[in-house]
Amino acid sequence: MSSGILKSHPAPSLASAPFLRARRRRAQQQRQAFWFILPALIVLLFVYAGPMLYALQASFTHWVLTDIGSENDPAGLSNYTDVLQSRDFWSAVRVTVTYALSSIACGLTLGTAFALLLNLDFFWRSFFRSVMMIPMVITPAVIGIFWKLLYEQEGGVFNYFLTSLGLPPVAWLDLDHSLLSIIIMDVWQTTPFFMLVILAGLQAIDENEIDAARVDGASGFQLFRYILLPHLLPYMLIAAAFRSIAAMGDFDKIWLLTAGGPGDRTTTITIFTYKTGFFAFDIGRTAAIAWIFVVIMLVISAPLMRHLFKTSIAER
Amino acid sequence: MGSPNRKLIVKTLLSGAWLLIASVYLFPYVWMVLTGIRRPVDTLTMPPRFIFTPSFEGFTALLREVKFQGYLLNSIVVATAVTLIVAAIAGPAAYALAQLRMRGRLFLASILVARMVPGIAIVIPIYLAASRLGLLDTYGVLIAIYTAFNLPFAIWLLRGFFGEVPGEVREAAIIDGASEVQVFVRIVLPLVSTGFVATGVFVFIAAWNEFLFALALTNAHSATAPLAIIGFRNEYGVQWAEIGAAALLISSPVVLFAVIMQKYLVRGLTMGSVKG
Repeated sequence: MSSGILKSHPAPSLASAPFLRARRRRAQQQRQAFWFILPALIVLLFVYAGPMLYALQASFTHWVLTDIGSENDPAGLSNYTDVLQSRDFWSAVRVTVTYALSSIACGLTLGTAFALLLNLDFFWRSFFRSVMMIPMVITPAVIGIFWKLLYEQEGGVFNYFLTSLGLPPVAWLDLDHSLLSIIIMDVWQTTPFFMLVILAGLQAIDENEIDAARVDGASGFQLFRYILLPHLLPYMLIAAAFRSIAAMGDFDKIWLLTAGGPGDRTTTITIFTYKTGFFAFDIGRTAAIAWIFVVIMLVISAPLMRHLFKTSIAER
Repeated sequence: MGSPNRKLIVKTLLSGAWLLIASVYLFPYVWMVLTGIRRPVDTLTMPPRFIFTPSFEGFTALLREVKFQGYLLNSIVVATAVTLIVAAIAGPAAYALAQLRMRGRLFLASILVARMVPGIAIVIPIYLAASRLGLLDTYGVLIAIYTAFNLPFAIWLLRGFFGEVPGEVREAAIIDGASEVQVFVRIVLPLVSTGFVATGVFVFIAAWNEFLFALALTNAHSATAPLAIIGFRNEYGVQWAEIGAAALLISSPVVLFAVIMQKYLVRGLTMGSVKG
């Protein structure tokens, strides 16, 4: 009751009360917000920040797991300089970039084609959409193991189809083809992701715009080039950005299909890190590779992060 | 000139084309399913046999010799626990970011950064810490790590869903005298149930499919299903029926789950990627 009177007839001496109250309420809200994020903060600190700092410290030592006492053997920056000067590391960078870029280019193209085709009017459309997304969710470890059987040189079903078409069989997992083979496998798994994102983009298009262009006599290609493509471009960019982060970190499928071989033909940075850690037990060096990798990832994903950050701040 | 007829023909032709595309594209999956339910003899015969007497030798061998049900149980326990815990932790955080006008720029930025850190970068330190604390091969360490790994994405996704609830809803309840926690639990939470289901679908699938940390951190006691498939290609050759059956048992739960929940999967995908 009294607050109602205050609101409608503010006495001069109390003029600043609503303002103060709003400020107090905002401060209280901030405090409560902190309690809401606290559990997440604790988990992230323990599982991300903690291990990362531990690794940072280890990266300045000559710590080898099989060599007791070596964890206190200072190495300065030598792990970092060694890694950055090693041929193996740069080969892994090259493989990773080739793998990620080719896989994304093909997946995006194929996914867009599928989305455009799914967006047409035909029978059992929702059935086809459902089954086409299956590869996206299959356990990657299962895919890695199983594709090894498909790629088998003798008795593999891919080569059976090739030879029955009159083509020579391909040694899918040899020096010349193994990188191609892991790319094909990844394209197979990730095309549905692009398809679903592009499909969502297509369904957000204003039908009137397309009808208007049709009335103006635009051809199918013109329609795609001047109406659909500009509209879809942001969807494509975001999907490609997310996929590139994921592709650079891929481990399961590659590990189980080729284990990085033959030689180091399919040794991506992840595989390289894993081998250095769990086979050579060289913790100092592994930690240095891990940190270099994290920096590379953050640099590459900086535009994506900036975009996400800006849009999320603007939303509020 | 017979326009409805022409339309029908175009629709039929397109459906035929899609049947062809789907059969070619999904061939590896179909082959996997078939390998699981036929005898190795039928798998290795060329030309490929699509008609055969189904056999479940692979499944019985899996259950009897490898105790595959143990792996499956571990996967179910871990994935379910992770999904629930992530929802419980990410929900309030996302709510604070979206509704409480929190100046959480730093928190927001650290979530983004955490999301970009690849698993391989922390698997070694986590392995070392877990072995020092005697936590190797326990459910707890796997659940903790999967929770942390899914948190950034889950918070991000849920933030989008919470953002769609008008701020007036919360303010009205606060004016009526509800506390911040009451508003969150009783009023806002029911409005974003779709968001929680969508997030849960992603988290469950990710936890079920995870391989790297399971490989590094578990052993006989808590190994999850994806690890069960790696032993069937050894010096005695390839055990086709077992690989096929294991592939089916490991992937079918997530495939079925994703198909049933596809509305939420697509919703989460667009919310998580397109809307930022």
